[in-house]
Amino acid sequence: MPASSESIMLSGDLHARPAGALAVAAGRFSSAVSVTAGARTVDAKSVLGVMGLGATSGQRVTVAADGPDAEEAVAALIAIIGEATRVGGLRSPARRQC
Amino acid sequence: MPQVGIVLVSHSVRLAEGAADLAAQVSGGTVTVAAAGGTDDGGLGTSAAKVERAVRGADGGAGVLVLADLGSAVLTVRALLEDPGVLRGATVTLADAPFVEGAVAATVTAAAGADLTAVAKAAEEAWHARKL
Repeated sequence: MPASSESIMLSGDLHARPAGALAVAAGRFSSAVSVTAGARTVDAKSVLGVMGLGATSGQRVTVAADGPDAEEAVAALIAIIGEATRVGGLRSPARRQC
Repeated sequence: MPQVGIVLVSHSVRLAEGAADLAAQVSGGTVTVAAAGGTDDGGLGTSAAKVERAVRGADGGAGVLVLADLGSAVLTVRALLEDPGVLRGATVTLADAPFVEGAVAATVTAAAGADLTAVAKAAEEAWHARKL
């Protein structure tokens, strides 16, 4: 089974909404997908796991996938992390982060 | 493809509505999350009629997962599920899960297109999610 991984520097904290977007997207892939921040690795399909990472702006996170759609999963999740943790990301510019 | 619907049963109108708002926002707003909080007159307690309406409203054809905040809300849901006539035609599972964390985990999993069994499992795994 193909495996794939990529890292990205967070431009904002990994709050509830970005974590939700990440887990929803991860759940649509059949590959096993993980997110690593610091010393902790969690299942990317578990929103509570991703929120529990407590990953903050400036921290580097790594997305890794193993399975038939691993490459697509990593590309999609890296894009979502980039967009969702950007200040004002996820079409909620006026809202407080949650 | 229809998504699993979520029903949040709380003793408090505001707790049910607040948890439903939170779960809907975190999951991107594509899943029906129905709140069934408080008694029929809006006081603290639970209402079988409200739960029934919420289940009907949340059922999009892929089944409904119900989460309850405290033990006696569980009794209300159980009584409803055990009455064969009331929710005929609906596939309903009651989750043994923490209320807020289970609601968020279940709704996110439903948003990804998972079936009722997987959505219930996501809610129940919330027991093991550490915050620190």
